[in-house]
Amino acid sequence: MTKVVRIADGAYRVETNGQSHLVYVAGPPAHRWAFWNGRVYRGSQDETAPAARSRTRHDAHQELTAPMPATVLKVLVTAGSQVKKGETLVILEAMKMELPLRAPADATVTAVGCREGELVQPETVLVELE
Amino acid sequence: MIRRLLIANRGEIAVRIIHTCRELGIETVVVFSDADRTALHVELADRAMPIGPPPALQSYLDMAKVIDAARTSEADAVHPGYGFLSQSPAFAAACAKAGLIFVGPPADVMSRMGSKIEARQLMESSGVPVVPGAVPADQSDASLARAIERVGFPALIKASKGGGGKGMRIVESPADAVDRLQAARREAQAAFGDGTLYVEHVIERPHHIEVQVIADEHGNTLHVFERECSVQRRHQKVIEESPSPNVTPALRQRLTDSAIVAARASSYRNAGTVEFLVDLSGPDRDQAAFHFLEMNTRLQVEHGVTEQVAGVDLVRAQLVVAAGEALPWRQTELIQRGHSIEARVYAEDPEHGFLPQAGRLLLYREPRLPGVRIDSGVREGDEIPVHYDPLIAKVIAHAETRELAVARLIAALRAFPVLGIITNIPFLIRVLEHPRFRAGEIHTGFLDHEGASLSEPVHEPMPSFVSAAIAAATGSHEPGIATQLDWDPWTQLSGWRP
Repeated sequence: MTKVVRIADGAYRVETNGQSHLVYVAGPPAHRWAFWNGRVYRGSQDETAPAARSRTRHDAHQELTAPMPATVLKVLVTAGSQVKKGETLVILEAMKMELPLRAPADATVTAVGCREGELVQPETVLVELE
Repeated sequence: MIRRLLIANRGEIAVRIIHTCRELGIETVVVFSDADRTALHVELADRAMPIGPPPALQSYLDMAKVIDAARTSEADAVHPGYGFLSQSPAFAAACAKAGLIFVGPPADVMSRMGSKIEARQLMESSGVPVVPGAVPADQSDASLARAIERVGFPALIKASKGGGGKGMRIVESPADAVDRLQAARREAQAAFGDGTLYVEHVIERPHHIEVQVIADEHGNTLHVFERECSVQRRHQKVIEESPSPNVTPALRQRLTDSAIVAARASSYRNAGTVEFLVDLSGPDRDQAAFHFLEMNTRLQVEHGVTEQVAGVDLVRAQLVVAAGEALPWRQTELIQRGHSIEARVYAEDPEHGFLPQAGRLLLYREPRLPGVRIDSGVREGDEIPVHYDPLIAKVIAHAETRELAVARLIAALRAFPVLGIITNIPFLIRVLEHPRFRAGEIHTGFLDHEGASLSEPVHEPMPSFVSAAIAAATGSHEPGIATQLDWDPWTQLSGWRP
């Protein structure tokens, strides 16, 4: 038997097997965050949600997306470019730092979805590879 | 003494300066961009003045707007904090011209030391050892590439106006030279408005040890000991401590003597930091070689480590000196007592190349523990904007010994829940627990070359009591009411990752 006591907003004391743990929980059920003893856990509580959002449409196809709001500083490839693993494809700038996006594997660029100077939002597809 | 101080900054440093002003009875005025309307520094200051849209260039970096705010609010002094305008000689000069006391060195001193190139030359002529390198007058790609070849590989390209690792690139082979120097120039131009570059030979496995100095107008130049800042990631400091676990009393004497020479040679005023690269690979640490790296003409992010270990308030000393008074301490009165260590909590994702994160702090609870100081500029519910440095808080632990201070810092980080934004807290704990860190053996290459495993995802199952708390959270119970649970957490949660 496990006993959970809410001791403050978002703070829970969990008593189980004679031990007590302080766990913090925040966020909506679909995007839950939890903290215990310096560790952070993230996930969805919705059973119907996919286990992990996959960006892979089929085996060979890959999309590189913007990880955060950023400005596109340089686009170094065009559709049709052959790229090697680790090659820089796009350079973003955010929080005054340059963030190079590199090819995860040897591939061909099938589409480029951004322009230099453009402000891109998270999840925007910047480069498609095959 | 200063009567009303304008703080030309935001976040934790603005808040930290406000606290000292409160103690001294100095009124505070802060400026804020549209992104910071409800920020903590705005809440705490006696007066807050809007200075424009979120991008720093149109707000915190806009000198005319900041000076205007100081005039309108009838401030008599300006504290620039760190970053933003803190190392801008033009801003220091503009303050002086507007009749405002600038809390920092005079514009000409800042200009001399702010140019890494000019500072190198001044140190060389004063007998302070510098890193071997080349400073080409011709800034063309071809000329810089030749300078890199002359200095030898690996070489480090650096920006004359650089700082915080921006505008800096390592060149391992001739083939990389032009690519890297163009990237460095672009970054330097964007960050500092000056793309001038120079080249240094890479000192292998150096320790980054810096000396805090402070000088008044009455001929007193003091040091407040060293800080070791060798735990760095891409030249960005992550953990800082004082005293350095690697400095012997004889080496400390040599380092602090050189720092005083450097400060005097540049006619330094107010608080500054002299940074050295120290080669500790030899058997005799007393005689270890060190090289002047640069001088930071401002209060450092990590000043709190020195304050805790020396028991002084550096911001107060800055304000006293800026007002033309003598330093409040003598060198012989200053001692290092115990050990102090700081971890910088950043909104960044260690599993994905330490990408800066922006978003809302859904839950943010600073721990209250003996011997732990937390400098922060945020509160629960705040938005971490995309426009500025992603530093959330500095956690500083002070204890009798290094071992105890490290244990105390780990305990504080384990009790510091920050949810809603990915932070480096789990990563910091792993660095602090690393046997080589515990042994004090870390040089500046540690995180870049050997620390990859420290930022990898941990694949361990979520404890069942964590799932129990998550399930209880969904029930939204009143405080203090127990929920009896008798269910298998593993069937209910999917897609969770630590």
